[in-house]
Amino acid sequence: MRAPNEIDFWRGFALATIFINHVPGIFYERFTHRNVSLSDSAEMFVFLAGWSLRFVVTNPGQPLSAFRLVLRLVGRAVVIYAAQILITVIAIAIIAAASIYFDAPPLLEWHNAAAVFEEPVATHVGLVLLSHQLGYFNILPLYVVLMTGAPIVALLDRASPWLALAVSVAVYGFALFGGVNLPTWPVEGRWFLDPLTWQLIFVLGFLIAAPGAGLGLFARRYHHALRLVAIPFVVAGGLAAWFQYSPDPLRVPDPKLFFMFDKTFLSPARLIHAVALVALFAGSYRYIAWPLPPLAAYLSMLGRNSLNVFCVGSVLSLAGQIARFEYGGGIGTDTVVIIIGIVALGVTGWVSEWRDRLRARQGPQPSPSSPPQLSSPPVSSRRAQPT
Amino acid sequence: MPSSSIAAPAPLPNVTATLETRKTIRVLAIGSSSTYGVGASSGSKNYPAQLTDILEKALRGINVEIINRGVSGEVAKTTAERLRVEVALTHPDLVLWQLGTNDALARVPVEEFENTVTSTIEWLKENKIDVVLVGLQYTSRFARDDNYAAIRDALRKIAAQQNILYVRRFEAMRYISALRNAPPMVSGDDLHLNDLGYHCMAEHIAHAVIANLFVRRFRPPTN
Repeated sequence: MRAPNEIDFWRGFALATIFINHVPGIFYERFTHRNVSLSDSAEMFVFLAGWSLRFVVTNPGQPLSAFRLVLRLVGRAVVIYAAQILITVIAIAIIAAASIYFDAPPLLEWHNAAAVFEEPVATHVGLVLLSHQLGYFNILPLYVVLMTGAPIVALLDRASPWLALAVSVAVYGFALFGGVNLPTWPVEGRWFLDPLTWQLIFVLGFLIAAPGAGLGLFARRYHHALRLVAIPFVVAGGLAAWFQYSPDPLRVPDPKLFFMFDKTFLSPARLIHAVALVALFAGSYRYIAWPLPPLAAYLSMLGRNSLNVFCVGSVLSLAGQIARFEYGGGIGTDTVVIIIGIVALGVTGWVSEWRDRLRARQGPQPSPSSPPQLSSPPVSSRRAQPT
Repeated sequence: MPSSSIAAPAPLPNVTATLETRKTIRVLAIGSSSTYGVGASSGSKNYPAQLTDILEKALRGINVEIINRGVSGEVAKTTAERLRVEVALTHPDLVLWQLGTNDALARVPVEEFENTVTSTIEWLKENKIDVVLVGLQYTSRFARDDNYAAIRDALRKIAAQQNILYVRRFEAMRYISALRNAPPMVSGDDLHLNDLGYHCMAEHIAHAVIANLFVRRFRPPTN
């Protein structure tokens, strides 16, 4: 188990705020950073996912062959896909159960679930293809696509980190220019988070995480200057969020998506703000962890187990919404929802690590069906890879 | 069914003006589930699709283009953000905005809901785009739910203040469900209108569009 550290801490922070922000109308939403920040936890989560990809790709000590690398990244994509399917099915069951228990058929409409119940034949195909996503359950489908494309990013980066950046920026510009996004089906629409534009912040995380080359080297060498450059962007983004300012989409010049503050297409303003936040707050962790070690330990624990925590958090936000529906959206209900959420996320992180500690104590189990070097790595090293 | 009890009459000035110069109107249908026809027997029978049929039949030579951007379970605040982007990207003449049910369920504060809806309508008006609000669904359990009623009142108030067309689905569906021996208009789950119900709703919207066109055409200019 890793000691609390900056990356895990911010990842945990993003996970905790995603949980709160996914209960619309909850009282405590007003204390999350998105009220003073143009970009929100989704950008942070995807950036840090890219950062974690660096550790998987670099694999300290023993560089992976291209084949092993692809195998490993596609394997990660499959794990994330499985998690998405699992939480989606649980969410559908929660919605259905709540509609029966509370005698409330309108609940069946929630979270884009209506099509599941009303047009099940086509929608089941859509669920498996990720072309039908429940509301608020749209980050993992993005992550699946990003992880599936990660081998390309990693191999381009091996050739040249600047080449990886150039390709990523080109795809981003193309998608933004034409408003290109993946379609949803059977419900006519588009993905809530466009993988073609969101890949850029993932790739930026991946590139900046490399300390000795390309963008990562540049960012470290000029961190002091970049921090100063970031301040006006962070302040401007903060003011825009606080005063709920966004440019009128009908007044901005073409191509419009370049000038809007759009989340679906990750408009440049949101992207630049997210990167400016990273530049400004990188290194600030020690000033947070020093006076508040329990907070650092708690959020780092969430961050170390991010996939498990994310899954539990998603299901809990839905449960929180149903609680607010049944018991009314008052500060009392909201406080109970938040306390249960914070405890449950912590328990999820703790149980995940406790299970790993038990396994580590038993020692790695050799698999008879595969040669030793291809069997699962020892648990201790596996845990060291951010999920 | 009495028209006045389910659709507050109001002008659609921009659609009317557009039809005097062009033969095509573009409609953006946005909002929660019924936009794409949950409970209808096929995707083509949702109310925007039916509206197209009725308008194209009634106004020969007119072409109605519908863009569906329905996502179920969205609260109005989320839709409002999406709506602005979609309007900018698709340039509609008319927006059909279905809203209310999910805000009532999520217990969104009524003032917040009102602010969101009013500011969005004002923005649409400034940009010469008409809007039709399509209200909440009726279910027997929620007939007495305070929050549900508050959101319904808010919508009625906003529509009156802004002088825009508002389809009172709740009243319409209650009327249908109270009728004895009425043809079955409500589908199995007592919540979603089936094809006939959609047809009825589409007719009311079409009626408003057509009435406006004729009023404009045959009434002498007032100034």
